[in-house]
Amino acid sequence: MRSGTETKSGERSESAAVSSNWFGDWPRAPGYLVVIGYLALTLLVARSSLNVQSVVLVAAVFGVLAISLDLVAGMLGLYSLGQGGFFAIGAYLTAIAASDYDVNVFLPLPVVVVVTGLLGMAIGALSLRVSGLYFSITTFIFTLVLTVLATDSTITRGTQGLLGPVFPDFPDALAPLGAPVAWCAMLALLMAAALVWNIRRSPLYPVLLSIRDAEPFAEAAGVRTSLVKVAIFGLSAAMAGSAGWVFSFIGVVSPGQFDWSVSLNILVMVLVGGIDTTLGPIVGTAFVTMFPALVNINPWLQEILYGALSIVAITVFPEGVVGLAKRRLGGGSGAGETEPSAEGPSAFAPGGVPISTSGGSTGPVGRADGREVIVECRGVEFSYALGPRVLRNVDLSVHRGHIHGLIGPNGSGKSTLANIIAGRLHPQSGTIFVKGRQVDGLAPSERARRGLRRTFQAAELVRNLTTTQNVLVGLYSEVPGIARRAAIWTMLASGRRDMTSMSTRAEEALGSVGAAQWTNKQVGDVPHGIEQLTQLASVCVAGPDIIVLDEPATGLSAREVEHLAQILTALKSRGVTMIIIEHQTRFLFPLCDQVTVLNAGEVVLTGSSDEVRVNPTVRQVYLGE
Amino acid sequence: MTSENSSVLQVSSLFAGYGRFDVVRDINLRVDKGEAVGLLGPNGAGKTTILRAIMGMVKYRRGEIRVGATDVMALPTHRIARGHAAIAPEGRRLFLDQSVEDNLILGALHLRRDPKRVQALLGSVYALFPVLLEYRRRQSSFLSGGEQQMVSIGRMLMSDPEVLLLDEPSVALSPVAVDAVAKALMELRRGGASLLLVEQRIDVAVRVCDRLYIMTHGEIVEELNPRTIGLDGMSIISKYLG
Amino acid sequence: MFQFILSGLAIGAIYGLIGMALSITFYVTRVINFAQGQAMMAAIMVTAAIASAGYPLLLAIVAGLASACAIAVVCYIVAVRPILAFDRFSFGWLVSTVGFAVVVENAAAYIWGPTSRAFPQILNETGIHIFSAVLTGQQLLGIGAAVSFAAAFELLRKRTLLGKLAMAVAADPEMASAIGANTTAFAAAAFAISGLFAGLAGVLIGPSTFANPYLGDTYGTYGFIAMMIGGGTEKPLAGMLGGFLLGVLSEGANALIDSRASDWFPFLVLVVILILTPKGLFSSGKWRFRLRSATLGRA
Repeated sequence: MRSGTETKSGERSESAAVSSNWFGDWPRAPGYLVVIGYLALTLLVARSSLNVQSVVLVAAVFGVLAISLDLVAGMLGLYSLGQGGFFAIGAYLTAIAASDYDVNVFLPLPVVVVVTGLLGMAIGALSLRVSGLYFSITTFIFTLVLTVLATDSTITRGTQGLLGPVFPDFPDALAPLGAPVAWCAMLALLMAAALVWNIRRSPLYPVLLSIRDAEPFAEAAGVRTSLVKVAIFGLSAAMAGSAGWVFSFIGVVSPGQFDWSVSLNILVMVLVGGIDTTLGPIVGTAFVTMFPALVNINPWLQEILYGALSIVAITVFPEGVVGLAKRRLGGGSGAGETEPSAEGPSAFAPGGVPISTSGGSTGPVGRADGREVIVECRGVEFSYALGPRVLRNVDLSVHRGHIHGLIGPNGSGKSTLANIIAGRLHPQSGTIFVKGRQVDGLAPSERARRGLRRTFQAAELVRNLTTTQNVLVGLYSEVPGIARRAAIWTMLASGRRDMTSMSTRAEEALGSVGAAQWTNKQVGDVPHGIEQLTQLASVCVAGPDIIVLDEPATGLSAREVEHLAQILTALKSRGVTMIIIEHQTRFLFPLCDQVTVLNAGEVVLTGSSDEVRVNPTVRQVYLGE
Repeated sequence: MTSENSSVLQVSSLFAGYGRFDVVRDINLRVDKGEAVGLLGPNGAGKTTILRAIMGMVKYRRGEIRVGATDVMALPTHRIARGHAAIAPEGRRLFLDQSVEDNLILGALHLRRDPKRVQALLGSVYALFPVLLEYRRRQSSFLSGGEQQMVSIGRMLMSDPEVLLLDEPSVALSPVAVDAVAKALMELRRGGASLLLVEQRIDVAVRVCDRLYIMTHGEIVEELNPRTIGLDGMSIISKYLG
Repeated sequence: MFQFILSGLAIGAIYGLIGMALSITFYVTRVINFAQGQAMMAAIMVTAAIASAGYPLLLAIVAGLASACAIAVVCYIVAVRPILAFDRFSFGWLVSTVGFAVVVENAAAYIWGPTSRAFPQILNETGIHIFSAVLTGQQLLGIGAAVSFAAAFELLRKRTLLGKLAMAVAADPEMASAIGANTTAFAAAAFAISGLFAGLAGVLIGPSTFANPYLGDTYGTYGFIAMMIGGGTEKPLAGMLGGFLLGVLSEGANALIDSRASDWFPFLVLVVILILTPKGLFSSGKWRFRLRSATLGRA
């Protein structure tokens, strides 16, 4: 624990209470009640007839599959249609091992987890190359191919399939518990739900959503998005494979059980129930699997009804049943509200609050040494794909502790240069140095971890998370072991501790940029100016050495611009170096130690604000006179 | 009745946005027949939103927008584009996989049953931008920025609308191209066209427009006549940057 | 060897027609219509029903084609348009088109029963000798029809104003509506044309498969593979070319490997092609830009 936060114990508990809504300072009692109720239900199912069991247990298995899909589709936004394939692998490996090799039924489980996990990671790696719809299509084909292989190989007994192993019975003492396979399936569902529930309440959740909705933002905040995607895929595939292991005890393992329509049905379950919710996939699964059992009419009419219902469900409730319920209970309102004025006195702390020492791990130390060059570009040349040259032989030297402005007309290459410094674009020639080390080829997330952060001109944030949660993304690389612990987060004392301290730091960062009133509002409901400030807070919270700001004053009112200037000045006094691209010269010039003027991709002039302001070439370039 | 007769575009009490909050509030502006009106302001002020709202491309809007005698608030975008208003949008948005002439002809979509008129309009566009006549069969992705802007303006002209809407036509263009665009706009004005021009470059706006609206933070804050206040660029700058 | 090439082209014509149908709707709306196979099936069932009721063959065929178009358009109105209206980039149509397919398939089973029924033979009984190979008249008709429809479509697309407008709608639907195109009408028309292509496939293959309500899945899948192999997601004609290639490869595998190879060989080819060229073999190198960010213009 950092000593910094302990001295503010009174404020800390207050802000912990504020953030507990989401984090789940979850009163223990209801949680235990739910679990006990679920176990009672399981007992009921385990002791009931084979008919009931066959419906409920299959539903439970599909519940696990749906949850595994929601992990990648709901949280990462990658619509994989490959769950059927991993499911098949899990089931077939188990069935074949049991029937052909006569192994203990529990032995295939770890094998299945490893095999499907690794395969899942490979598919996840594929998602890095091919995006969106093509990725879905590729995973779809993966399942298709597996089905065909299963149909045509002898080892899988073709279309007939295999009968899976029989689950061992309970010892006599436990016999009253009923069928052990029921316990196995229901507990599997409980574990899957708990895993996902924990992830939702860990700092990993905002990170996942930011990868889904605003990947450049996540990268710029230090998140190694490729690694995270691959890992989550592996996890999701392992879950699906384990569901296959469970299924082998319940049903016949034949290709028809795993074909592409199954993958699609799982997606239907997730979308109808509510994507990106814990309960949604379970509700959706219940609807899809139990529907045939509950509606007992002519089989064709039944299917017609099912098809019609799924069409109606998705067109009328595109967010799914649970998603709709959440929104209604959360109190959304209609469009067209007039934006509450962000200029009201409550919108920011008057007088400017100094940046809090929330213990950034690399808090800038030492005097603002005007001599050392902390960011340098030499001979940078850049053009997009087959287009014209955007930057020609650009040299730039930024000194530690300075505020360095970058101005020029639209299309002069300012944003491109900022992107190159931040790592989003790579120049055709030339080199970039950060803190004396060459960084060419380093991804934005790596540069962020070395202390260089940036803001975007159009703030990219996760709209259905709060400002605090978005700022948390900026701390991801600062707090170790988040991904490791995410699946059991709420059960760990260190989890609760870290979450509290991270939330506090996030709220302090928001307070320091003047957005304290908005800490628990969803970003989608927040005015543009506050979005910009949230973005800035997510950068500051990690205590960076260098910040690149891309038109930070865009869309801010005069008072907000003044306040922004105060914030940036305060940052400078803490030794932070800033590179600012801006059009609003009245705001920019007083702040800058140096200003570089770009026009048509070339540096026209670098000098002090005064020098630049009076230079006739600049006036011509900027005004086009 | 006089103002209704002479104005080709009348926007009253317009509020518009894309989600829960309005991006522009209580906008009142008008363009009279044969007038070129400028809309200036910094990034994020809402200028593009106003143009898009006029074309019906903004999800949430309320207020009144009339083009000529028609209430266009009630019309979908594709009906507005059939002779009431036409837009040369930010970033040009040409149909890049098609030729210059195809882009222009597509602009005259609603006039396709009157080939003579389409040919006449095409002729006038080529007269305004002779270089396009030379490149008429070239795929539009192979044109320079300035030439693409000409095609965009030409496509807008081809629908022979009552009012022309232009969104930052000078952005990312070389000084020579900007000059060509400004000259073309002035010529259109001389020919009696009515324009609403969104710009960041004060010099272009001052050259072309009869009247200027200044916008910041979603609201119109000033209305000026550049002739009467003199061509004092700096004073306008400080007004809209402040 | 010549035999399997010709038979391959014949079955490939069918795959190509369905592949192209899928491509056309995807091209205009960026939606994959999972009920495409069911449109084909509808044509088969209706044609069979009307022909066996004693009406002239031509009437039955026309009715079949019309039903396929109608099914496709209804699918657009009911299952696709509401999703796109809510969010252009949503994947909800995965659910709704599948749901629609389920409804159509089971409705057909309910009306006509699950077993196969007779389908008029059209030209299936005539044999035609081409060098060392034999084709039925139906197969030759299939190849001819597919090629002509594909050619007609391409001509329309490239040479007519409507075709150019379709390209514009595909590239930038918002800008297309800003020049006066009714994008909803366009999308509906695209679905109708895709229904026509699928229906034609049905009428051509009907004599061999007979009329069975469950045909939609198999042929829909093959059509999908044809589209992916050819790269029909970027360019509709590529769907047809992919279909021909798929047909020839299937028949070739049958002839050269073993008679069941056509079950798995196409998939192998598909996987290989996707690994090498994810966009398919015959799509153009040019990108179709979806101007995503441009639709959220601010200020």
